[in-house]
Amino acid sequence: MTEDQKHLLSQLKPGQHFTVQKVNAKGEIRRRLVDIGFLKEEKGVVIREALFCDPIEVEIKNTKVSLRRSEAEMINIKVMEQ
Amino acid sequence: MIFNRHRHHHREHHGHHACRKIKIAIAGNPNAGKTTIFNYLTGQNQKIGNYPGVTVEKKSGHLFHGRHEIELVDLPGIYSLSAYSLEEIVSRDFVINDKPDVIVDILDSTNLERNLNLLLQFQELGIPVVGALNMSDEAEEKGIQINVEQLSKILAIPLVKTIGTKGIGLKDLMRMAVRVAHGSINTSRRHINYGVEIEDAHHKIIRQLKTDPDFCHQFPSHWMAIKLLENDPDALLKVKQHHRHGEAVLLETQKIIQFIEKHFGDHSDVVVIEQRYGYIHGALQETLKQNQNTTNTTLTEKIDNIMLNKYLGIPIFLLIMYLIYQFTFTLGDPLGLVIEQLFAGLKSVIQKTFAAGIFRDFLTDGIIDGVGGVLVFLPLVVFLFMGLSILEDTGYMARAAFVMDKFFHIFGLHGRSFIPFMVSTGCAVPGVMSARVLSNPKDRLVTILVSPIMMCSAKTPVIAILSAVFFPKNAGLVFWLIWISGWIFAFIFALIFRKTLFAGEQTPFVMELPPYRIPTVRGIFQHMTEKSGEYVKKAGTVILAASVIIWFALNFPKPPENFTSNAEQPETGLSIETLHPSAIEQSYGGKFGKFLEPALRPAGFDWKIGVALFAATAAKEVFISTLGILYGIDEAPETDSETGLQEKIKMDPAYNPLMALGLMFFIMIYIPCIATLAVVKKETGSWKWPAFQAFYTLVAAYLIAVAIYQTGILLGYGV
Repeated sequence: MTEDQKHLLSQLKPGQHFTVQKVNAKGEIRRRLVDIGFLKEEKGVVIREALFCDPIEVEIKNTKVSLRRSEAEMINIKVMEQ
Repeated sequence: MIFNRHRHHHREHHGHHACRKIKIAIAGNPNAGKTTIFNYLTGQNQKIGNYPGVTVEKKSGHLFHGRHEIELVDLPGIYSLSAYSLEEIVSRDFVINDKPDVIVDILDSTNLERNLNLLLQFQELGIPVVGALNMSDEAEEKGIQINVEQLSKILAIPLVKTIGTKGIGLKDLMRMAVRVAHGSINTSRRHINYGVEIEDAHHKIIRQLKTDPDFCHQFPSHWMAIKLLENDPDALLKVKQHHRHGEAVLLETQKIIQFIEKHFGDHSDVVVIEQRYGYIHGALQETLKQNQNTTNTTLTEKIDNIMLNKYLGIPIFLLIMYLIYQFTFTLGDPLGLVIEQLFAGLKSVIQKTFAAGIFRDFLTDGIIDGVGGVLVFLPLVVFLFMGLSILEDTGYMARAAFVMDKFFHIFGLHGRSFIPFMVSTGCAVPGVMSARVLSNPKDRLVTILVSPIMMCSAKTPVIAILSAVFFPKNAGLVFWLIWISGWIFAFIFALIFRKTLFAGEQTPFVMELPPYRIPTVRGIFQHMTEKSGEYVKKAGTVILAASVIIWFALNFPKPPENFTSNAEQPETGLSIETLHPSAIEQSYGGKFGKFLEPALRPAGFDWKIGVALFAATAAKEVFISTLGILYGIDEAPETDSETGLQEKIKMDPAYNPLMALGLMFFIMIYIPCIATLAVVKKETGSWKWPAFQAFYTLVAAYLIAVAIYQTGILLGYGV
């Protein structure tokens, strides 16, 4: 497993694994993202996207979470090459 | 050992409370099975209201455990105790102000990490906490083994294994809660350790807070200090308003936060959550083992590969909605008809028993029609909520939002808004009620405000007849145009409201997609009866009152002679059908129509249409029958009266296709029927919203009708 350069979660395609670096949101959205498990060094994988590529489904902390691409845009990640 | 430390001490102090009513708050993450457990424990002994000042539903109930009477309050399903969402504020305010004896937090055992995040936040509030390790059967199936005793010791929180859907472990859970309430087990003395830097900062803030003992009496200082550390807007406000040295505390807090943020390189609230998750991770490492046996997960994944397929997702969703819609209306409509006929029968019995007169008319046309008007919707409400609770309990509802969100989000709505929209094309009464699938209050309000614009089954005959009369060659096309315009206007208004009334920051869409679960019959039944009961009790009274008022307006003052005709006919529509035209003309309603006529002229409407539109606020289908009476069509079976009306209207030189087009748009958009308004009042908790809804739809409908008519005149279509 090698690590790629910095990315946003919104740029990933289904099947890509990632490690969370930082949540760049504000207020309620930041709080919700972090509470639901987008924490530093947390590992996850993009499972699928809906029609028109939005929203996306992500597996994190052993559960499935759906979020809009605009929300995924606020999450800095490292892509994990498998 | 931790539990026992204070045992003696507390026995002495609380022993005499043994027979006192115990107040327990039930809390938990969404999808953890909280509602199931609450319903199981309280059965039919439930009270539904709102938390003070907000529209968040508050359910409470009571039960007896041995000789102890327990009052259970169901807190909303939440992920955390931040100050951002209404549900979370309501939960923490309830705990702080009402001080329940115990908080029972329902935990999803298959997803402990995220669920403990909430549990530990409740612990910090200083109220004793008990955790229910719910869905323990599912966890076992997944190969998750939890060392309950050890975990409970580490967290200093009593834990009880439960299976809510089967009622297993709930007695033990209540026994534990009662023991904790009586102080025989102490839980409040411990809280998690956030690490040296945070703990240090925390203590500093507590010291600052303690400079005002009254404040600390009102708000638990331990919790308040953590909230201040998190830069929690509500906590900052409370300190500013209520703390004697508020300024000093806030200044010190800001300094501490700056230090923490510099030290950890992230926002302080994120740091606090990370530390908490770190603590949870440590606790679970010692107490939770997961075997690599994940059959359940793969089943959910397999189902989702189809249900959430990029291209199949929407068609499947539409199909499911169509089935629910068909189920609701094919079963509900005939039953509604039966109810209608029963009331018609009752009416004719009364008409035969009592002498003709105002009192009899009041009974038959005011009261019976009013009550009937409430109950005809009941089958729809029952079946719809049966369908919706199946969607909710299986876990599909979250998926529905996933597949539909992109499109609805363009108009500032949530994916789940599709459900109330769709249901409203059948009937706006259950449509507005189904807006409960939206947990965000802004999404819900916008959806409630616009979804009644849809073509409902009461508007359908009105629009169909008008299309047929005025556009005989293109009736189908015109009808379709009006139907689709219902959707378009609803979306446009939603967008407008999102940009104006409900502007501001977007609310998060982020949510869990829970594993698929098999719903229990008990759960669905409870949900169904609950919603129907609420509808009858709360909306019913308003609908009844309004029907009586409209009946009065169209019947008084009475003309000198009694014009009532065909009284023996078991008519099912509203009262006015049995009235003579001049009776209505003389009534308050008729005078009102005439008074309005100058204002209606620009749209091409005359006073008769004005009266019919007024009467149709009782129920949209009444429009045609009222117009029929005003044209003096003899009462006859409905279809005949309609054809009769068609002839009359065609002959009237004042009416033309242009006016009719404007009229159809007007009928689509203007004031929802009183049943809908009553339900909107019930759902939003205030008269403000139905009043606003009636106002904006009336103005919009008027402007659109005038615009159509005037443009048409300019273009030379008016004659």
